[in-house]
Amino acid sequence: MTGLAILVALSPLTGPAAALAGARARLAGAAQTAGAAVALGCSLALLVTLNGHAPLAGWDGFLYVDSLGGFFAMTVAGVTLLAALGSIGYVSAQEDSGELSGFQVRLYFTFFGLFASLMLAALETGNLGLLFVLVEASTLASAALVGIEGRSRSLEAAWKYIIISSLGVTIALAGTLFLFYSASALHLGSNLGLTWPYLLAHAQALAPQSLRLAFLLAVVGYGTKVGLAPMHTWLPDAHAEAPSPASAMLSAALLNVGMYAIIRFLAIAQARLGGTYPRAVLLSFGFASIVVGALFMVRRGNFKRLFAYSSVEHMGIIAVALGFGGVLGLYGALLQTLNHALAKAVLFLSSGDVALRYRTREAGQVSGLLAAVPVTGGALLLASFAVLGSPPFGLFLSELTIVRAGFAHGSPVFPLLLLALLGLAFVAFARTTAGMVTGEPPQLTSPYRGRAAVAVTAAPLILGLAALLVLGLWIPAGLDAVLRHSIRVIG
Amino acid sequence: MQSLSATSAAGVLLDLSGVVILLLAFACLASKLFNRYVVYYGAQSVVLSFAAGTAAVAFHSAELWILAALTFAVKGIAIPVAARRLLVTRLALKRDAAMSSGLSTSLIAGGALTAFAYLVTRPALLPHGTVASAVVPLSTAVILLGSLSMVVRRHTVAQLIGWLIVENGVFLGAITLVATFPFIVEAGIFLDIVAGVLIMVVFVSGLTRQLAEASAAELRELRG
Repeated sequence: MTGLAILVALSPLTGPAAALAGARARLAGAAQTAGAAVALGCSLALLVTLNGHAPLAGWDGFLYVDSLGGFFAMTVAGVTLLAALGSIGYVSAQEDSGELSGFQVRLYFTFFGLFASLMLAALETGNLGLLFVLVEASTLASAALVGIEGRSRSLEAAWKYIIISSLGVTIALAGTLFLFYSASALHLGSNLGLTWPYLLAHAQALAPQSLRLAFLLAVVGYGTKVGLAPMHTWLPDAHAEAPSPASAMLSAALLNVGMYAIIRFLAIAQARLGGTYPRAVLLSFGFASIVVGALFMVRRGNFKRLFAYSSVEHMGIIAVALGFGGVLGLYGALLQTLNHALAKAVLFLSSGDVALRYRTREAGQVSGLLAAVPVTGGALLLASFAVLGSPPFGLFLSELTIVRAGFAHGSPVFPLLLLALLGLAFVAFARTTAGMVTGEPPQLTSPYRGRAAVAVTAAPLILGLAALLVLGLWIPAGLDAVLRHSIRVIG
Repeated sequence: MQSLSATSAAGVLLDLSGVVILLLAFACLASKLFNRYVVYYGAQSVVLSFAAGTAAVAFHSAELWILAALTFAVKGIAIPVAARRLLVTRLALKRDAAMSSGLSTSLIAGGALTAFAYLVTRPALLPHGTVASAVVPLSTAVILLGSLSMVVRRHTVAQLIGWLIVENGVFLGAITLVATFPFIVEAGIFLDIVAGVLIMVVFVSGLTRQLAEASAAELRELRG
């Protein structure tokens, strides 16, 4: 089992290996895809073996995988697979057109694989200090991806991203220190004492005042990575300027890793402080993010920025779901995480195809997508509806669960407010995407060479949408079990 | 956890180092010359390595000695020298004009933040008095001052130094815990900082090539 867990974290390094060996975009992309597929397979196998049994732990708690970590690892590995598939078409088209040099392509795949690997490793450690180290390292790797095109706009976005996120994650480290301070009554003497399961088991011995500060700092710090308002300011720039498959990784994988860290702190805080304080914190940040996300979506402009603000909104929804709490709230939050990851990956990957074909990222200059490129247009339209929570897609189910959890939570004000904001987001988002897919298409030239490249671009879109549709109609028994085990882990 | 009371010699030295580190953070906040930023940061790191050495003596910890040596070599010498060569000299940076508030205003704000740090980290937060009492509020104050100088200064190099000061603040807080903090994590944090500085230097140079002056104030293409 330990071998499986290591394989999950290391197999995405096939892409960097191929890139360092000097492979061109197609080959490096294929290697990256194969590595991501192995990672996804191993994470699924890991979940099956874990199924309700004791978590996998070793090396003084540096390695620790439970159902919750396994679930997030599966999500991240799945997104990595979709984004790696998308990278083949996107990056090789850019390489062919000369927009990216051979060096930049190698750099792209090196950091892409490293980024995925670091995120997966972060989900498999129980040591909270190491969690910080890996999350910060993944920030650095992804910042290189954001700035890869080297234009002044992308460098500006990368700078904003790296400086805001690094500061945020450093604040999370301060939060981790305060958590350890709060545990000084435990006389932590070994590495094992700094691990999440140990602290959770001994939560009653933690000093509440210090823990309260630790939780707040962790939410602010890791919340910067999640994109919770008001720490979200880096997010739209980075998502808009990164190459589209990298945007998909940021939105659908990285934000979730930040949320995962918050969930770990939430579990400890709830065990000692009770539900009221941590939930109030999450509800405030969550609603702030939904409001900011929905309001900024009203503005028409760069469609990748639109998707990015939708990520801010969705991360807010997940935070609100955690704030509602209870089995329903946690179930909804986890389901929403998976569904949002799939939908956003499809959206960003299709936006990459649109950007290549139309040579613009402005929504106003894109029209007739459905007529010009039926597969991408259809995927964009369907994924838009999915991300807005319409049936029959998975997000409808998870958002319904979250609203139900809200009504169960007590005051009906919060779930009603949530519904109103979701309505606003729907109108704002659909207004822009509807304009993109309908109308008369302009004269377009295909950026791809050969039919294979077109097929490989369509593959992740179809795969992602199919998964979304399945999750909307039916939750497989295995997934249901994993979600229930994860909830039990959090407590 | 081994204890380090505030009255022992090591505790007093640690507290003193904390005070000097805070003063150097203030000095950096009050300065307007890029050269000075780098010098103050280097001096702060040297004091930090001294603090780590003090803790190493008190805790009889070999790992702490390594950390103290690493801090001295990397943060005290390598990063300041590299920052001076690669950024300050090569980009011909002298006076920092891109500030969003006057020096006196930011100093007053810094004073308020220091008071705030003492307020939120009252001794009640730290049960059983296991750590040198002054270090926790001091390190919190350094973190806040570093953040403040990142907010006030709009030049990318100044923001980079601000982030490094925040890191120093966190590290100061970590020293008091270091009897328990695993070495591998500390080493990882170190590695992150070095990698972070490297990547940031690349970005700053890239931005400078494209803009006349790599000032974040001029980074305003992306809005809304």
